[in-house]
Amino acid sequence: MLKSLSYLLLLLPMLSAVAIAFAPTKSAKWIAAASTSVIFAISVMFAWAFTGWSSGAIAPLDAVTPILPEFGINISLGASSVGVMLILLTAFLMPLAMIGSFTAIREREKEYYAWFLVLEATMLGVFLARDAVFFYTCFEFSLVPMYFLIAIFGGAERRAASIKFFIYMFFGSVFTLAGLIYMAVQYKLQIGNGWSFDLDTLVAFSSNPEHMSKSQQFWIFVLLMTGFAVKVPFFPVHTWLPLAHDQAPTAGSVILAGALLKFGTYGVYRIALPAAPVGAIELDQFFAIICLIGIVNAALICWVQHDVKKLIAYSSVSHLCFCMLGMFSLNSVGTTGAFMYMINHGLSTGALFLCIGMIYERYHTKDMDKLGGLFRRMPVWSFFMVFFTLSSLGLPGLNGFVGEFLCLMGCFTADVDAVAGYPGLLGPWYAIIAVLGLIVSAMYLLIMLGKIVWGPLREPLDHAHTSHAASALPRDLSLREISILTPIALVSLFIGFYPNPMLAPIGKDIEESLASYPKLVEEYRQNGSLVWPESAKSDGVARTELDTPTMAKSR
Amino acid sequence: MIELASLSNLTAQALGTFVPAILSDATSNGIPASIAAPELRWAGLILLLPVISAVLCGLCAAMRVKSKLPGLITAVSLVASFGLTLWLFLSLSNADGPVAARTVHLFDWITLSWEPTHQHAATRWTSVTAPFALYIDSLTLLWMLFVTGLGSLIAIYATEYMESDVGKGYARFFGCVSIFLFAMGALVMGGNLILLYLGWEGVGLASYLLVGYYYTKPSAVDAAKKAFIMNRIGDAGLALGIFLIWVNYGSLEYSALFEAMQGAGADGASASWTREAIPYLIMLGAFGKSAQFPLFTWLPDAMEGPTPVSALIHAATMVTAGVYLIARLYPLFELHPHALETVAWIGCFTALLAATIGMAQYDIKRVFAYSTVSQLGYMFLGLGVGTSFGAVYHVFTHAFFKALLFLCCGAIMHGMAGQLDLRKMSGLRNVKGFGIISWTFLVGCLCLAAFPFSSGYFSKDAIIGQAFASDNPNFNFLGWVAVLTAGLTSYYAFRVWFRVCGGPTKYEAGDEVHSDADEAHDDDHGHGHAPAATTHHAAEHWHPHGPRIAINAVLLVICAGALLAAVPAYNAMSGGSNWVQRMVAHSSAFEGAQLHDAHGAEHAHHALSFTGIQDVHTATSVVASVFGMAGLLIALYLHLLNRSAADHLRNGLLSNSLTRWLPIAMENKWYVDEIYHWTFRVPLWALAHVSHFADKNLIDGVVVNGVARLPMDLARLFQPLYNGVLQGYAATMAGGLALILAWVFWIWMQGV
Repeated sequence: MLKSLSYLLLLLPMLSAVAIAFAPTKSAKWIAAASTSVIFAISVMFAWAFTGWSSGAIAPLDAVTPILPEFGINISLGASSVGVMLILLTAFLMPLAMIGSFTAIREREKEYYAWFLVLEATMLGVFLARDAVFFYTCFEFSLVPMYFLIAIFGGAERRAASIKFFIYMFFGSVFTLAGLIYMAVQYKLQIGNGWSFDLDTLVAFSSNPEHMSKSQQFWIFVLLMTGFAVKVPFFPVHTWLPLAHDQAPTAGSVILAGALLKFGTYGVYRIALPAAPVGAIELDQFFAIICLIGIVNAALICWVQHDVKKLIAYSSVSHLCFCMLGMFSLNSVGTTGAFMYMINHGLSTGALFLCIGMIYERYHTKDMDKLGGLFRRMPVWSFFMVFFTLSSLGLPGLNGFVGEFLCLMGCFTADVDAVAGYPGLLGPWYAIIAVLGLIVSAMYLLIMLGKIVWGPLREPLDHAHTSHAASALPRDLSLREISILTPIALVSLFIGFYPNPMLAPIGKDIEESLASYPKLVEEYRQNGSLVWPESAKSDGVARTELDTPTMAKSR
Repeated sequence: MIELASLSNLTAQALGTFVPAILSDATSNGIPASIAAPELRWAGLILLLPVISAVLCGLCAAMRVKSKLPGLITAVSLVASFGLTLWLFLSLSNADGPVAARTVHLFDWITLSWEPTHQHAATRWTSVTAPFALYIDSLTLLWMLFVTGLGSLIAIYATEYMESDVGKGYARFFGCVSIFLFAMGALVMGGNLILLYLGWEGVGLASYLLVGYYYTKPSAVDAAKKAFIMNRIGDAGLALGIFLIWVNYGSLEYSALFEAMQGAGADGASASWTREAIPYLIMLGAFGKSAQFPLFTWLPDAMEGPTPVSALIHAATMVTAGVYLIARLYPLFELHPHALETVAWIGCFTALLAATIGMAQYDIKRVFAYSTVSQLGYMFLGLGVGTSFGAVYHVFTHAFFKALLFLCCGAIMHGMAGQLDLRKMSGLRNVKGFGIISWTFLVGCLCLAAFPFSSGYFSKDAIIGQAFASDNPNFNFLGWVAVLTAGLTSYYAFRVWFRVCGGPTKYEAGDEVHSDADEAHDDDHGHGHAPAATTHHAAEHWHPHGPRIAINAVLLVICAGALLAAVPAYNAMSGGSNWVQRMVAHSSAFEGAQLHDAHGAEHAHHALSFTGIQDVHTATSVVASVFGMAGLLIALYLHLLNRSAADHLRNGLLSNSLTRWLPIAMENKWYVDEIYHWTFRVPLWALAHVSHFADKNLIDGVVVNGVARLPMDLARLFQPLYNGVLQGYAATMAGGLALILAWVFWIWMQGV
């Protein structure tokens, strides 16, 4: 059951893409909307049938299609509860993004919808993959549809944006590939029973101190993180994101923010953290500081933006750094928070991009100096805009709060062993700086609302009398647009008041991922470093010490 | 039907016993452990009703209902909510003796638990749980009674006050009021700190939406933004405080928390900074919400909202949330005497500062806004000097008289086309239809001025008396400041009344003709400002119109409430006990419920012994009354008997170069807003621009594009190889780079 559903999840989008290629142009959007909806239904069935909710284990789906058996490369699928949730998120956003494009895309529709379906297949592939090569293939191949979507259907600077997006991503993920290959090569050499690219095997292998020395783990982590960091995106390598978001078509931005950025966070959670705990611990504080810079820097930049889409794009940077900060607190609270943040950011930022797209379709501008006071014109749109802005700034009762609060809490309590159950390396000071991001985020989001939703009405001069007639869109939202935003709003509200169905199943998953951390963190605290201990011990000595549970209390 | 019957039963019982037993006078040592009371699940309806009403108002807005239906829905559901609260109060008053708090679990909200992997892990910290649960004790009930009670009355008032917006913002207004009532209920009734935080931010949201209700006015939009952001600063402190509480006490639920705190007091736990910082962070949250220095500047600006909102949110209920928070966590503050002293200092300083600003404002709503800040300062002073009873009693009386004052302002504004300048109105008591307003207004001013034997008099004296009774000389000093501030309060309250209601009848219309201005906007091509012709037209035919039944009735009811709020104190004077005091005595704030200091004895020697009066509270009453009457008489002279003297005084001060600064600084609110602007906002703004510039030009421009150009230049060498198809680039790049890297690692690995 699960196996066939998982194959359906991957094949149906591809087949629909092919179908669109051969179908008449007029039916393209209907096929896309129908098939993405069916895929969402399948993903719900998949989640329903999924058995790993309570165990937290990665449930292999026995779906193994050998590609290069002699190298151990297969299409093998598996899902953890975290992965299933992200699949649900992706499949949930896709039909909404498709239906949201009905009026925005009027040329080359076949290409547009076909590329989106290909994109969906690669995204679901990433979250389903259990094989390193398959994972990487999907991870990388998602760039191609996205490239075309930006380059063909984007804004004025679409060429530059698409090329930058592609090269940037590519540059980063090559390092990730190198890290994966290095792990596989080591596996082949040390275990000696042939190749394996199975992610779980590789992760278990490389996190084992008997196989990988500390410095090896350190460098593996660096390699893996280079690619994931670009995707997340972390502070100095985030500059592709505002440009790509700004230029991408609305649905492209929705999917980029909603699902594609989660590749990075998911990759860190699924591969980098469990595979190379030594590297993660060694670089924990470094990355946390990068996150803090990202949170505050991006939030400040949001403040001075004039383009509302760029503002939301920069806020994505700030938010995802928040998410990663939660993850790097290395405890259950923070990591759960990070996971919730992934989902919630996808929902609220995706919805915000949809809202902005609706404005762009009507006014052909996203400039907050030219638009303002739209509440008078579009009360329904304004309601949704305010709603999702509030969810984005983490208002309790809406979805954003749960993740944000837990991330901060995890980070804050990370250095108190007894409290978090897991010793970590962050602590109150990190959280106190992150809290500044909370304040600044309220500032820029409310300033945005103050300009675009409230205040005296401002519309582009040339627009007010002509364009309404020209476009088929009503002044306020159409029924189609309302029915896109309403499900997201309802899900936001549901998660805000009842997040337990999501919190409960991921706990176990996280416990397994973090199982090897507490001991290593203790050791790090004693020596100040794992890879380069202050007492200049040789690598071998340090490794034996690791296994003896004789460490003194650090607190 | 059965429920109604039992309700009347309960009422009869309660009237029979008069003093509900939950509030009986037994002294309690420590907070009794709470009992789970699943049979009280219906109390959740108190929160649910406003939610339902908010949803229905939303539907009305969506369906563009052009009637008063949303107002009706809200009023009905809030009254029902109040009824349920009353019923809850009465049903809990059946039991004998001091009753433990009830916890009612409604549903799980946030539940997170894990297996401790750590060898030192303590069992307590294996989960973060924040159920959607209610914690009902007498403090909760007291707060909920006046929140839902005043909420219902003000909703009724607003059905008439907002009538000019029917079909436009009417549903939005009442929807937001309903959201506010839900959030306030969650704040007060919530059984854990995260639920409190939900309510805390929820009331901030409602305040944001309602302050910005007249959204076409840029000043209203700015005020709403400012209110939310300043509150967020406080909220951030509160969030950090919550984390620290969890770290130190291992729970976020009140029942478990109080137990842990009382234990912590006994074991004399080590003073780590994580423990010491808690009350200060909580304080930051409380000061943000309750508009205390340094986070007070949002509240006067929040007067941009409709007046019922100012009365409900920015005077009676929301702004007292900070007092509630500290009273609720009083066991925590008891562990940190220095924190309590800080609360006292800041409260007292804010009271004085805001009173001096309030003296010099001309907008009557602003006067009372600063007055609210000042009175909230008193409440914090009360908490700080150790009388949570005084603070809560002042919250209670203030809720009535300040709501009354604001509703009077609103009624005047409603009838005078938005006029709020006290220089442009006079003698309204003689204008037809303004009689009830004028006299209820007078009652409000008397209470605010703590006129002897009014409700404000008793609650304020409870606070100031405690300050004088204290052994701490600092508190005695604060007591004197508070007495001085009482004099100022009396002056500015009667300055308004004598100016607006006293003297010869004379008025001019305000510039806001609120019925017509909005209609003018609603055409297809409105450009965001009221056409001058409409205003002019309206002004010609303008005459003041007195309020109708809804507003007058509500004014009278709240006026009665403001007067009756003194009854508990009379009861105490005649040998009984003060109802509010008993309520506080059976809550988590019980430590501060006694009128005298911790020793409980009559003070033979206190800061006011020179008056020759033994009892410190009597002495305080006398001294404070002297100051209060002085303020009243000065106001009488300057603003009723000889109004030109006031102008002479001001001009005299202005013409003297030594005193010139005083009226200027007071009229400009001591330039606090400007100071914040230049010390915080401008540097941050500059930093934001620097960040933006660096991001665009340095990181992206130099580093990223520089790196990108490098391979581009190299690639030119191989240009002929490429055919321009992207997949070709991708495949070649992936394959090539992967091969190279794999090879490099192979070599490296061989070496290891």
